[in-house]
Amino acid sequence: MAAKLNLSGPPDSDTSSPNDQSVSSRSSNRSLRVADKARRKNEAEDPFVLALKYFSDVEAGTPVYGNDDVERNMVLVEKVAYSKGLSPEAISIMLEFAMSLRMGTILCPRVLKCLIPAAVVPQEAVVRAFVWLGVGKIPVSTQILFIKWVLTVFDMIDAKDQLRAIYGFIFSFVTEENLVCVFIFFLVVVRVFRVRKLLELQSKLGRQPFLLNLLSLYKVFCPDLVTLSIPSRIKSVFRNHNMPWRSALIAVQKRDGSQAASSISPASTIKDKTNPRKRKHCHLVLPALCSVVNKEAQTEPSSSRKVVPLVQLHSFAQLLENMHRIELPAQMGSLLGSSLALQYLDCVQDESALLRLNFWLGYALHEEFLFCGDGGASQNSEEALQFLNKLLSTQHFLQEGFSSSEAFLYKFLNVWDGSLLRPQILGLLSNIPVIPSSQIRRLLFEPLMQLFFTSSLFFKCGLMECLNNMLLKWLTWHSVYALEDDLDISLNSHTSINMTLSGFKDSVMELVDFVGRLASVGLQLEGCHSLLLSFILDFYETVCDTFLKYGLPLVVIPPTGVFYPALFASDPVSVDRLAYIMYRYKVNLTSAKSQETEQAFHISRQTFREFNHYAVVMVNCLWNSKMFQPGMGIQPGEELLLKSNVPQYWMSFDLIHHPAFMSYAVDFHQKCWPGRKDMDLNSIKHSKPWSWYLEYLFSQGYDGLKQFVQSNISRQKAAGDGQGNSLST
Amino acid sequence: MEKHHNSVTRTPLNSVVVQRRSKSKSYRLSYRSCLGAASRLGLTPALTARRLNTSRRAPKPHNITEKVDAEQLTLLVKTEWQLSYVTPLYQFRHTQLKSYSRQLSAFIAAEKQQGMAVEVEGPQKTFRVSFSLVQGLTESDDDAETVLVQIYSKPLFARQDEPQKPVWSGWLTCINGNPEYLGSLPKDFICLPLFGSSGAEGLTTLVKSWFQQSFDCCFGPLEISHTSLQWLMALWTNCHNEYSIQHLKMIWTLPAVPPLQVTYTVNSEDAWELWGSVRKGNRGGGGGGGGGEEAEEESSIDIEEVRRFMQGLQSHFYRHFRLDLSAGSLNQVSTALGSAKYSGRIKISNSRYMITTLTLLTECALLKMPI
Repeated sequence: MAAKLNLSGPPDSDTSSPNDQSVSSRSSNRSLRVADKARRKNEAEDPFVLALKYFSDVEAGTPVYGNDDVERNMVLVEKVAYSKGLSPEAISIMLEFAMSLRMGTILCPRVLKCLIPAAVVPQEAVVRAFVWLGVGKIPVSTQILFIKWVLTVFDMIDAKDQLRAIYGFIFSFVTEENLVCVFIFFLVVVRVFRVRKLLELQSKLGRQPFLLNLLSLYKVFCPDLVTLSIPSRIKSVFRNHNMPWRSALIAVQKRDGSQAASSISPASTIKDKTNPRKRKHCHLVLPALCSVVNKEAQTEPSSSRKVVPLVQLHSFAQLLENMHRIELPAQMGSLLGSSLALQYLDCVQDESALLRLNFWLGYALHEEFLFCGDGGASQNSEEALQFLNKLLSTQHFLQEGFSSSEAFLYKFLNVWDGSLLRPQILGLLSNIPVIPSSQIRRLLFEPLMQLFFTSSLFFKCGLMECLNNMLLKWLTWHSVYALEDDLDISLNSHTSINMTLSGFKDSVMELVDFVGRLASVGLQLEGCHSLLLSFILDFYETVCDTFLKYGLPLVVIPPTGVFYPALFASDPVSVDRLAYIMYRYKVNLTSAKSQETEQAFHISRQTFREFNHYAVVMVNCLWNSKMFQPGMGIQPGEELLLKSNVPQYWMSFDLIHHPAFMSYAVDFHQKCWPGRKDMDLNSIKHSKPWSWYLEYLFSQGYDGLKQFVQSNISRQKAAGDGQGNSLST
Repeated sequence: MEKHHNSVTRTPLNSVVVQRRSKSKSYRLSYRSCLGAASRLGLTPALTARRLNTSRRAPKPHNITEKVDAEQLTLLVKTEWQLSYVTPLYQFRHTQLKSYSRQLSAFIAAEKQQGMAVEVEGPQKTFRVSFSLVQGLTESDDDAETVLVQIYSKPLFARQDEPQKPVWSGWLTCINGNPEYLGSLPKDFICLPLFGSSGAEGLTTLVKSWFQQSFDCCFGPLEISHTSLQWLMALWTNCHNEYSIQHLKMIWTLPAVPPLQVTYTVNSEDAWELWGSVRKGNRGGGGGGGGGEEAEEESSIDIEEVRRFMQGLQSHFYRHFRLDLSAGSLNQVSTALGSAKYSGRIKISNSRYMITTLTLLTECALLKMPI
């Protein structure tokens, strides 16, 4: 039953100190005197070295009172200690001096207090000090001070093997001298008889913080032997006792520029939850990381393989080392609370474990948002917010959603007001995996439609962004498989979601169509708001590249309700983005057409027709100044157009007169003909200025427009009769 | 359904399968969407929109006294229970009850004296816990055996030789649980969705948190919904000709200012008569000509009948008091067979119809499952 684990971090091998005293600091095993001599040659005049020499050479029994030498040297050492920290040799010398009681017990605490290591603490010195602890007559208060010091600098001790070897010896201090020997906390080697001894001691002494901490560690290692609940008041006792050293240490290290001794204090594993007020509902509290108690029930008798509970791991290195034999915690939900555990969650393949996690998560979400009749969600929205943020960051870390949050969302969307925790809910929503097209309408579209049409512009934008992210994730998922399998193999072979490639395509198509409908109506409702339009164009930037970027042989052309508002938008950015999207459509379609036969998929002729139609409209509109030509999408009656009194209405959306570009045209006109008084924009139409004008536009950063023009219009005919359409079916 | 999956990953030891194609493997798992056909729980709430059964068999008297230990049965019957739902228990073993008793009593002792460590194997002086099986209290093969937990303690100033008295009891059960749902769970989960407790609130909390920590499950409050209360009324009334329900009492709350509470008690004979009139087919007819089909018809009760029964009761009340009860909410029903409250408290007074009631409550508890 004994569990032993190396709790130390990686040995701080590279912390060679830049301090002048510790040039050869790592040679802790070298005789102190030899080291001292070696240094004396170089720095014989350094008063600090002399002070150290004084402490190492001072005769036993030298009086303290009235001894100016001691005082002077002590002050020197303290000054160095608090400003730069002490080198390993200095620590050895001072510790030896203090613990050997060569000058009595008076100086002892003072020396201990200034033992601030600059880099590392030699193990040998600590072991020697423990030996002095056994033979000397050190007062209990000083012993405690010493132990506390060891605890503080524990992470900086250069090795721990010898300390571990004398574990039993150190343990004896707990029982015989009632000493706060929490030190063994770090070296723990659990034995049943020790648990008994500690429990006996506890019954004698009552609840002492040091015993508590020790026992709680035993609980981590042997939950089947001891159980314990730690009251919230005591939690901090263990940590605070060494604050003076800690702050001095940090100060020294800061000055040094080196990193603070990184230690995942085991104290933090005990219970790090702060629960300031008692909550009525506590389902949002992450469970604490605990190891499994009922081990005999779990492990099959035959397999006596040693497993390491996740609780006992404190660094990523340890995690990697023990990857093959990690035991999952008692409550899977606790994985969400620790970043280290999350790393492991990514590798968990055990279906039961994931189901446990999902049960817990689903329970928490349901209780908080669906079952709480008394407005529980709004009551503690701060906690709910944090919980969802945690969940979101977990899902982002794992790059996948949890099925329980998915199931929850399908229910919650029906009762959601669209404003409660909107960013979080939309974030969760964007993580849901592909829904079969037969279900997608009822589960997703119907509730979303209601929310979309009854909510503010900001919700509409948020939802567009969310659906774009959802589509991106679906497509990414697909592309991962497209890389692994041949395209024509149904996805079914590899995934447990029972979906064929055509099923996947159907779902994507449904989603894109749905967004197209939402976008069309949304733009109408919001008066073609350019913010909303921008989010919609984001979505179509994803859609137009499905084939080339994600390897999905599917091209869906935007509906007229999106195309025309973008084309006639009053801001040039939207028109530019539309041009870019059309350009990408063309590239995708051309590429798909060339691969169609060899890869056995089929892009509908209708898609080509739609694209060509839009391309013709765009070229006619922006380039050829031939608005409202027969055969185009918009064809108002002749009388109506005349009645509008717009002169030369057929030109009103070319690149010069388009409301989005008019200001550029004016600007260009002024630059081109600075002397002219009367402005005639039509003069830009002439062949030369026209190409200059285009150059001018492109130089303003309208790359989409540039790519569109370059791919659709052959410039030789740029004089105005350029025929744009180039793709035929 | 897909039990073969589990055999591979039953123990956590095998949990990490080192594979070359581990990424695709992890995708497979991650893609265990709640809609996927291979989803563990084929019966997803989102898809099937689980609802209470709209039709259920009429209660038949069960000779439960022959099957179940008398002492346990008395405890179950005489107490009013506060209900909760429980998500499936992971790694719960009916064979480990003794060890659970020790662990729980050590856990309670440790929690009660905050900050004192407690040895698990040592004898506990203040609280003694006993886990026991309630054998015979199952209906279908899928149901896990009911587990009874009792906590004994000595009063604070008791004499040395005074025996410990039961201070808390609770049980976990599953009666006629939805076989599809139960079947879809992996083997290492035991589904005992219905939890009843009676005793000090503090102990209930402790027991719950011990279960949560030991079996990675979650406890949530289980209300007995409006519809379930109506079902109970109908089911109990339906027993009247075999066992007198004596009275049918309902407590309604009406949304007036100040809130109006209405206690509505119906004579058992009148209730029975009303029930007879809303039942499909004429039950009062000649006994002989029925045959199998009619018996079948007779033994199932439809939600429509329950609704008509309620309407009858409500319109009767309206005729007398001009108060429309349907505007309010039903909070409590009671008959000689038992009583149930919206807050989730139930008392089953007669063991003969216990199974029927527990079946309904199990169904309610399963409806609350998050997945």
